[in-house]
Amino acid sequence: MRHHRRFLLLASAGLLLAAHAWAATPQDTVRAALGALAPGIQVEAVQDSPIPGFYEAIAGGRFVYVSKDGRYVVDGTAYDVANKDDLTASSLARLRKQALDRIGPDKRIVFAPAQPVATRHTLTVFTDPDCPFCHRFHQHMAEYNAKGIAVDYLLFPLSIHPGADRKSEAIWCAKDRQAALTAAMAGQDPGKASCPNPVAELSGLGATLGIRGTPTVLAEDGSQIPGELAFSPDQLAAELDRRAAARQP
Amino acid sequence: MRDVLPTPTFATGRGHALGVLALGALFAAALLPLAAQAADADTAVRAAVAALAPQLKIDKIEPAPMAGFRQVIVGGQVVYVSDDGRYLMQGTLFDTKAKVDLTSARAAIEHKTRVDAVPQDQRIVFGAAGKPKYKVTVFTDIDCGYCRKLHSEIAEINKLGIEVDYLFFPRSGPNTPSFDKAVAVWCAADRKAAFTAAKAGVEPKPAQCDNPVAAQFALGNEVGVTGTPTILAPDGSRIGGYLPPDQLLARLQALDKKTPASP
Repeated sequence: MRHHRRFLLLASAGLLLAAHAWAATPQDTVRAALGALAPGIQVEAVQDSPIPGFYEAIAGGRFVYVSKDGRYVVDGTAYDVANKDDLTASSLARLRKQALDRIGPDKRIVFAPAQPVATRHTLTVFTDPDCPFCHRFHQHMAEYNAKGIAVDYLLFPLSIHPGADRKSEAIWCAKDRQAALTAAMAGQDPGKASCPNPVAELSGLGATLGIRGTPTVLAEDGSQIPGELAFSPDQLAAELDRRAAARQP
Repeated sequence: MRDVLPTPTFATGRGHALGVLALGALFAAALLPLAAQAADADTAVRAAVAALAPQLKIDKIEPAPMAGFRQVIVGGQVVYVSDDGRYLMQGTLFDTKAKVDLTSARAAIEHKTRVDAVPQDQRIVFGAAGKPKYKVTVFTDIDCGYCRKLHSEIAEINKLGIEVDYLFFPRSGPNTPSFDKAVAVWCAADRKAAFTAAKAGVEPKPAQCDNPVAAQFALGNEVGVTGTPTILAPDGSRIGGYLPPDQLLARLQALDKKTPASP
């Protein structure tokens, strides 16, 4: 391809255009199609999809489907009817899993079951110290842990909560992060502290993964757990068991 | 142009059109055997939609703008199904060349067809003197403040040459006082007088009879009415909520210029 391109640079302008159209990559096609609708939109990824005639793309943190001729865009959800699969949700889960796998324990605040309870499931939870539902989720931590569910928090202060940035940083920089987070989730203001911290990085990551609210609760496979399940330790444990079983071949 | 790719769906898990109605069924319902090999794509498409949402009635199956797909009108909404019935997409289809939202455009036509299909004798009509220049359809609720304000100006609206056809949309739904008031107005001996009195705050005398209130409430939901008053222009487009009479006229005149021929 490189050689080809270099050669084309020497060709006449007309030939260059024609050959370039022929060589349009999926990325080019998707960028042009989405750019026509939303100038300047950032295209993060493009891949082939099972949907006949369509690419699957991630743009601005969300999935869209773009026809291979670039003419049509579907902003929505795609289903594989035969396999009962929500293709959009599955792709999103894969994307999130890949990204989360690259986030080391040094960027998480971990609440794991204590001995003798074995960890059976690990959740990744995007959380905000000023979000009421995050407080409610955290109140159940002992119960989650008792059921063998570990919770790895990623600090993700929402822009709608002024001061949540500062509080997140203060929690991270506290001597005992876990205690500081628990206190903040009980409504205490952690004050102000500065140190190197992953908050900005996690905020950027969350945005590219389509995380827009807190708490966003993700299972090991990157799939999202609905809020109403997450607040009930019994139902949550049952759902995680069910999903883990479904993943067994 | 942010709106071109609207409403985040990930974090909230908010489904698209069909999801609201039934897509949970996708994971619960036993799938019908797919008619993938059937020569008739409509049969395959019908089976696909039935597999996802068995309780929904398909209104129309027609070729989609993109090759290899059918567009299915179901419950007043538009979804796209591959000709083999294997894949279904719901959401918003954009034409990148014309820069238009094809889903909304198609849905708008469907909505207009449905509203137009309501027979004259099921509307409460406040006509203009002489031949009306414009006819608007208004989904209304006896107990809504801006509906009352609009109706208090009905004489002025009519005088501007605008006919108003009311359909009932009691926002609180069946088995609520607002719904019962709509039924009582419909069943009154003098329907228009009862309507005007109720809009002025007079409690209508309870009454029961055959009435179209439930059907109109369902119609409103299907064509995307979420609040009252919802004013629909003659071309089916949504003017929105309350407007003072002169502004309503101006909007109708502007629409006239914009759409020389209806689609």
